[in-house]
Amino acid sequence: MNPNPFSERNPSLVDKLDGREGLDQRREVDAARRAAAARQRAFAEADAAALDGLISVRPRSLVPRPQPVWDDAEVLVHEPAGERYRRLVLASDAIAAAAQAGQFLMITVPPNGGDTVLLPRPMAIHRRRPAAPACPATADQLATVAIAGTVELIYGVVGRGTRALAAVPVGGSLQVTGPLGRGFEFPRGTRTALLIGRGVGICGVMGAAEDAAAAGIRTTMVLSGQRPEQLLGRTDCAELGVRVIEATDDDGSSGLDTLGARLRAEFDGSTPEATPPDVVMVCGAGVLARLAAELGAHWGVPVQASLEAHMACGLGYCHGCAAPVRTDPSVEGPLVCADGPVFDARIPID
Amino acid sequence: MVALREGPVFPDARAAFFAAGPEPLDLAVDLSMRIGTLTLRTPVMPASGCFGPELGALIPVGELGATVTKTVFGSARGGNPVHRLTEIPAGMVNSVGIPSRGPAGYLAELHPRYAALGVPTIISVGGHRPGEYAPVVEALCEHGSAFELNVSCPNLDRDGTDIGSDPAAIRAVVGAVRRVTDKPIIVKLPVLVASIADCARAAEEAGADAVCVANSIPAMPLDAATRRPILGNVIGGLSGPSIKPIVLRLVWLASRAVQIPVIACGGVGTVDDALDYFSVGASAVQVGTASFGRPFAAVEIARGLGHRCLDAGVGSIRELLELETAL
Repeated sequence: MNPNPFSERNPSLVDKLDGREGLDQRREVDAARRAAAARQRAFAEADAAALDGLISVRPRSLVPRPQPVWDDAEVLVHEPAGERYRRLVLASDAIAAAAQAGQFLMITVPPNGGDTVLLPRPMAIHRRRPAAPACPATADQLATVAIAGTVELIYGVVGRGTRALAAVPVGGSLQVTGPLGRGFEFPRGTRTALLIGRGVGICGVMGAAEDAAAAGIRTTMVLSGQRPEQLLGRTDCAELGVRVIEATDDDGSSGLDTLGARLRAEFDGSTPEATPPDVVMVCGAGVLARLAAELGAHWGVPVQASLEAHMACGLGYCHGCAAPVRTDPSVEGPLVCADGPVFDARIPID
Repeated sequence: MVALREGPVFPDARAAFFAAGPEPLDLAVDLSMRIGTLTLRTPVMPASGCFGPELGALIPVGELGATVTKTVFGSARGGNPVHRLTEIPAGMVNSVGIPSRGPAGYLAELHPRYAALGVPTIISVGGHRPGEYAPVVEALCEHGSAFELNVSCPNLDRDGTDIGSDPAAIRAVVGAVRRVTDKPIIVKLPVLVASIADCARAAEEAGADAVCVANSIPAMPLDAATRRPILGNVIGGLSGPSIKPIVLRLVWLASRAVQIPVIACGGVGTVDDALDYFSVGASAVQVGTASFGRPFAAVEIARGLGHRCLDAGVGSIRELLELETAL
């Protein structure tokens, strides 16, 4: 007669689940779930609305676009990164050598148990470490060789695809296509730069920090996230000599007004160090792209914003990742994968 | 320590894949198939919308039987609002909305890149009314190797009924296109039809050289957290492994109804998927959704069909299937 294993072991639990109190609790949990979904939806809508009229395709540059390849890349590192992300270091000479700042890869998710994930997942290239010279001489160079010819990615486990990806062991391999898209480019003569990243979007701008460090560009990066324990990129910024401004939801420092006021004060021109940056680069949220565009207008400097989108091919032929740009209905707007992911961001002039 | 590796070293897996084929199968195995006057060296091609000339650098396209373009409409279309695609278990749902720059835009921007790939280009053509197809084919006639008529479009002359679900409309479209071209005509039929046999027969009787069965299936994915549609267009087309048994049935029914070749399209991702379709009467397969995760999937299937025949010591897919079913 309908034996209930819980009633034997834990009668109080059954009381909770079946009784009046349990029903109230379930209703509370349900209401909380609905409220969270509503908040998430409201945020997503506001974030998308923030991009309205903001972005445009950047003029083609003279820098040759890398030709994407696909590769079976060995997984060298796969470990937690902070509280909510995972770090993935993949060996691929071809991709590490060609990747430009702000470009991305399409990662094909291997089957996980009985679950087959069909579409590859786009991920920003967080760090690039091209292959070192063939004959290393010093111990320092040998240490470099260990990670040479690799790219580093960081992702959050948010759904079926990333759950399956998290199960891939070190020593296994992943099929990756890339490097893809049009990345960040420093305008000629850039001496100082402000980079802004939020959440996993910090990876989107880290390549620009690498280029800035190599070119001697003085760089400040805003690391934004929910909690200090979740912020990515502190170690990378220290390695690259990038000054960090942390902004978190916990203490309110990531609020747009608070952060905007702080950045205006940091770069108010009062001292040589406080000279406004020559360029602003941003990734991770539509509202931050708008804030960056406002700051860019205030300082009179260009702003480049990297966008995210659902995509299937990453190359442009599936047309799945329309960028949020309003066009005549008979004209297709730009695609995030092929025309971006990095776009110009300017406050529209009415 | 750098270990010395034997044999050629390739910079990436893509380069190794290019170098791995094609092997000299041609003498022993004949995989060719005909669509009217057009001969394809192998019965594997991409599905419309799931291929672009961009792939020419990633896969050896020359090993495919043909390429199939994204559908070209008579006038320019911008496509649907975001989000345009999502993934569900065993399937993808897309509502890209077929952006098109019209025949002139296709010829100026895309066709030269398709032509450079060195295999026949099958141009997919769409319309919102039966009368809209022939002018597009006429404008592209000398450029395409063949034309695939995408009739899974709402017919604005008949309150939005799919053209491809209405045998009379299929006859009208194919008849009109037949009058403007001698090139092979393929009719790509939709899934939701009262009788796939009647639709396939209508295409054959009006002069089509092949039918392609089928297309994505109308579907509506919801976001469980918000109970709202995921796609900007609310409905989209389901494709991928989950539709294969549905399309297998349709291919089986269609190939019993017509003498012209049936090209199967629906959840083909492996050699065995292709052989399943061949065993119910298909003469060729199209590879769509599988290519997104595995860009080389179609080439791998083409190579795999040859290897299966060679391993079995037979000269064609027909003989291979006879051998398999005789067991």
